[in-house]
Amino acid sequence: MTRASTRHGLTRTACSMWAAPVLLALSLTAPGEASAAGGNVEATLLSERTAVAPGIPFHVGIRMKIRRGWHIYWKNPGDSGLPPKIDWVELPEGFAAGPIEFPLPHRSAENDLMTYGYDRDVILLVTITPPRVIKADSVTIGGLLQWLECKDICVPGNAMLRIALPVSSAPVASGSGVVAIAGALSQLPQDPAGWSLRAEAGRRAIALDFAPPKGITPREAYLFVDEPLVTEHATPQRLERMKNGYRLSLEPAANARGNLARLSGVLVIEISGRSPSRLGVNVDLPVTPGDPPPVPIATGPARWPVLPAAGALGVACLALALYWNRSRRRSISSGTPTGEQP
Amino acid sequence: MNRIATVACILLLAPALDAHAAAIVGSSAPPLELRDADGKNVRLDAYKGKFVVLEWVNRQCPFVRKHYGSGNMQALQKKYTEKGVVWLSICSSAPGKQGYVKGPEAKEWMAEEKAAPTDFLLDPKGKVGKAYGAKTTPHIFVIDPKGKVVYNGAIDDKPSTDREDIETARNYLALALDASLEGKKVEVAATQPYGCTVKY
Repeated sequence: MTRASTRHGLTRTACSMWAAPVLLALSLTAPGEASAAGGNVEATLLSERTAVAPGIPFHVGIRMKIRRGWHIYWKNPGDSGLPPKIDWVELPEGFAAGPIEFPLPHRSAENDLMTYGYDRDVILLVTITPPRVIKADSVTIGGLLQWLECKDICVPGNAMLRIALPVSSAPVASGSGVVAIAGALSQLPQDPAGWSLRAEAGRRAIALDFAPPKGITPREAYLFVDEPLVTEHATPQRLERMKNGYRLSLEPAANARGNLARLSGVLVIEISGRSPSRLGVNVDLPVTPGDPPPVPIATGPARWPVLPAAGALGVACLALALYWNRSRRRSISSGTPTGEQP
Repeated sequence: MNRIATVACILLLAPALDAHAAAIVGSSAPPLELRDADGKNVRLDAYKGKFVVLEWVNRQCPFVRKHYGSGNMQALQKKYTEKGVVWLSICSSAPGKQGYVKGPEAKEWMAEEKAAPTDFLLDPKGKVGKAYGAKTTPHIFVIDPKGKVVYNGAIDDKPSTDREDIETARNYLALALDASLEGKKVEVAATQPYGCTVKY
């Protein structure tokens, strides 16, 4: 029932190093769970029910235990990397599996690049919808999970995950997976009920104007954009207090494909003096064409104070040169018959 | 005197304008001057009049291995250099980081892989990589005979490390080169590159 497979070239050292913990994990696996391992990430399939009830959807959780120092990626990995994907190769007839639902991601900056993902244990969720009639007494749900695990280097990992569940007409919501999956559900981005959200974008900046429900004061905010070629991920986003809420400014992607029609992703805010201190809402907005002020360009914390200074100095210098130029021309033109008008 | 002052001012402005350097489709390609695996100096402007492919490479990255292990990259290099395209493979890995190579190692690797670029360039300081905004390995740029960027992005539309995906993938680089060589506009000119982070 349980099988770990590693198709890609892990080094022999990595395999032997991980053989012991993997075997241990396999022997500790409770009935109804399936476990497998990549090099630095161990993946397990959990169910929030101990039995499948015909016609009643339920969650399964893909628990990924990540070795310290390593990370995996969110659905939009950012400047590099790959999101995990699962191919439900063993789904009983009539069953349907939904897309992977990702909990709130984290940022990881490396040199001038930015990626989005997870460096601690994480549970990805998938909704499984059984058919109204199930003829069998038990079913096995299995999928091939593929991911990319990275530290300073990247290694592809994959595992065949399976879970066997009995079929019962009464819905059963218990089992070892329940608590874990309930925890994972609370980590998902929420629908922005009670929020006001508006997006505006121009050539120089993308602005997300937002106001959270009363009583929530963001200390920090970050929009994890989920589409490619929208924003420069590595440019810090700027949060400003406005009259009726906040404005978050993003730098458009250098190779953006023309006018942005929609802005989508997850807006994550950090709140002080409240639990949880981190809150995320889904954002999917039509974009109003506009010209929000540009984001201060910062490719690195060490560089950015220097750049505006040099820029300002350059502009002042040019203005001075132009002024000088004009006043000189004026004085010359007054003495020449073909002179320009001042 | 006046002109000198203006030029001086523009020079002062240059680093500020250059803060977010990138090779933007439709704009002039940033200057490129690097030593190749033989220690010879190579400049992009020496190839004016030709189509140029820039391919960011890190021989140890699994995404690069996907395209070299399958022979895909070598086949593209051979096919298009035979059509007069200049192909420059560039390694921006810093010393001590994954994929860093000195000239002789680079040549050894190329011989092993039967790689067939026009040249292999070394960018250990990451200067050119950062000027182009190279983010991943592979990351592909196509520059037209006038020195304008006509493609910036992924090699194909299947972001994975799986060699089996190559056959069914839409190869953006080949599409860009085929259109360019026929004098047509590149349809998909900018895509999100996929791969390992460039190890600056």
